[in-house]
Amino acid sequence: MARYIIRRLFTMVITMLVVSIVIFAVVEIAPGNVARNILGAYATPEQEKSMENQLGLDRPVATRYISWLFGSDWQAERKIGRPLKEIVIQQGIVERFRQWWAVDEDGSLVRWGIQDGQLYKYIRQPDGSTVGVPDEGAWRTDESGIQYFWGVDNANRAALWIKGQGGVEYRYEYSGWRKSENAPVDYIPLTKGLLRGDAGVSLRYRAPVSELIASRLKNSGILAALAFLVSIPLGLLLGLLAGLNEGKPADRILSLFGLVTTASPDFATGIFLIMIFSLWLKVLPGATVFASQTAILDNPKMLVLPVLTASLVEMGYILRITRASVVEVVQSNYVRTAVLKGLSRTQVVLRHVLRNSLLAPITVIMLHVNWLIGGLVVVESVFGYPGLGNFILNAALYKDVYAIEAASMFLILLAVGTQLIADIIYSFLNPRVRYA
Amino acid sequence: MAVESTFIRITPAQLRWRRFKEGVGLIFSSPTAVLGLAIVLIWVFIAIFAPYLTQYTPYEQDYKNVNKGPSPQHILGTDHLGRDVWARVAFGARTILLLAPISVGVAFLLGMILGLPAGYFGGWVDEVVMRILDSIMAFPTILLYMIIISAVGASPVNVVIAIAIGGAPGIARLIRALTLDIRTREYIAAARLRGDRPVHIMFREILPNCRGPLIVDLLLRIGYAAFYIGTLGFLGLGLPPPTPDWGGMVQEGHKFMTTNVWPVLSATVAIVTLVVGLNLFADGLREETMRYQ
Repeated sequence: MARYIIRRLFTMVITMLVVSIVIFAVVEIAPGNVARNILGAYATPEQEKSMENQLGLDRPVATRYISWLFGSDWQAERKIGRPLKEIVIQQGIVERFRQWWAVDEDGSLVRWGIQDGQLYKYIRQPDGSTVGVPDEGAWRTDESGIQYFWGVDNANRAALWIKGQGGVEYRYEYSGWRKSENAPVDYIPLTKGLLRGDAGVSLRYRAPVSELIASRLKNSGILAALAFLVSIPLGLLLGLLAGLNEGKPADRILSLFGLVTTASPDFATGIFLIMIFSLWLKVLPGATVFASQTAILDNPKMLVLPVLTASLVEMGYILRITRASVVEVVQSNYVRTAVLKGLSRTQVVLRHVLRNSLLAPITVIMLHVNWLIGGLVVVESVFGYPGLGNFILNAALYKDVYAIEAASMFLILLAVGTQLIADIIYSFLNPRVRYA
Repeated sequence: MAVESTFIRITPAQLRWRRFKEGVGLIFSSPTAVLGLAIVLIWVFIAIFAPYLTQYTPYEQDYKNVNKGPSPQHILGTDHLGRDVWARVAFGARTILLLAPISVGVAFLLGMILGLPAGYFGGWVDEVVMRILDSIMAFPTILLYMIIISAVGASPVNVVIAIAIGGAPGIARLIRALTLDIRTREYIAAARLRGDRPVHIMFREILPNCRGPLIVDLLLRIGYAAFYIGTLGFLGLGLPPPTPDWGGMVQEGHKFMTTNVWPVLSATVAIVTLVVGLNLFADGLREETMRYQ
């Protein structure tokens, strides 16, 4: 058993590694470059080039991939020669941001910049302000006599300055473009890497992606849990009913219902429900508008239609599997024996059919997380529900690359993880699988 | 004529005709498949004769009638730009009925290229191919499409590429499983002994014998492809705006549903009937072939 789990864990790691390569390749290397996606169509080539340099996009692909996954701070530390530290600054209740600083010999946090052609060191004070002191002695000289310096700049990047040879930097800020001369000529954006919990900063919300994901995950979790709560019992019950009445009108109607709900796209189901319940009967709201991201449960009426949409699709699916499983069990020899033995119909159904036919649907439901995630994206988009699915859709529409990468890695890990757990549970129930 | 052969000679053409008759017979022995086929054929008819079924083009704007319900001039009303809804539905059938089979065709090519060698050679080829397929299958389908489309942009070609990449692993797995079974047969051993090259054996001996289950699977996949083309359109990741696309019509009309439900209702009914029809057809056919065996 231990060997089986280890083998499965190993394949899962390989799968996730390939997944990360695929995501990285599709999002960052494929045509349509990241800098242009961020800047929009009206940036000049110089601005685009400067942006690419600042984002580290001019580095080799392998280096970028490693930085994304494992971080770039250790690469930068080697160049700067000082340890780097990330601190979190809290502003008010919600607004938080992260800053990178170098740790100086005396333990103070420092950054650098060029002021009037001179290198300045900015020392962070306990109250958050900085004091600048000239740091001309820090320049280093290479073989050809060029004076250079690697340090941390004021935008969370390791930067390379070369004396007397300032680069031109275009920075895109809230107010618009800011051009500065005497800027660094090369950059390494500092990140801890996805595996160390740093998913980068969202280009759209300008907030750490990991925090954006966390707040929406709860909302999606509530929606998914409620949908499961409605669809699993109902789906099993209706599937059992259909399977026991195979070929009769009840089965025909239920089977058709199952086929129609699973075959129709989720958005169509949602639209029909909105038309019936909110436009025609006017009993439920057709969109979810919450006072705040966290106030989902304050207005349960708004949850009804999203939950109903998500569960209808899921229910049809469970119904179809349960029906197939029940039909198979009913035709088995042990059920025939039980009937011939003279057991009552209730006893046969409860003791023989039900127990044996539930195994298949329950394992399939656990394998179904993957599919549910896709469904949530659509359902959340139909109702404007503030969940993770809607978040990732908007990230895709606005090309918020770091948000897409992090959110998809997270969702796939979730899907692969539950699949692994389902497989392990199943192998406990069915020893044949273990030795396959 | 001294000796008359006791065998009945069948020419390849006759064989093909027989197989065709068997296939048609299979469809007609399942009421579900017939119903599904009928629905699909109605849409195919609408798609082919779209220009004759409406006096408008899907792009023409009637500025005096914007967002109106059904009227004698516009049988299904007009959308928020004053375009005729029926014209857009009819021409939208062309879009989806063209893109769905094409993307399944591309997926089939990809799946064939990956699945045949994996099953035939086994060993490390199989191991590498299967790990890649597992990784792509680990993606929730819609997520995979979203990532691809957001990276390469929304266009008909890109939608086809995305759906083909999403569908290929399933087809590859099926072909691999069938190949694993077929490669142990005697006629494969015979082909090897005659010195046929592996490529020849894979494409001329194994592939044609995968036909039965493969056709049913591909038919089911056309249904899924239509499902996802609609969904991508609804999510705003489908075909770029002026193109008549059912999913896109729902996306656009969604905002105006309280004033005029007709664009949304028509497009939703269209996509549901087509996808359910395709599913009924493929499902009925699958059940019938299972009974047949």
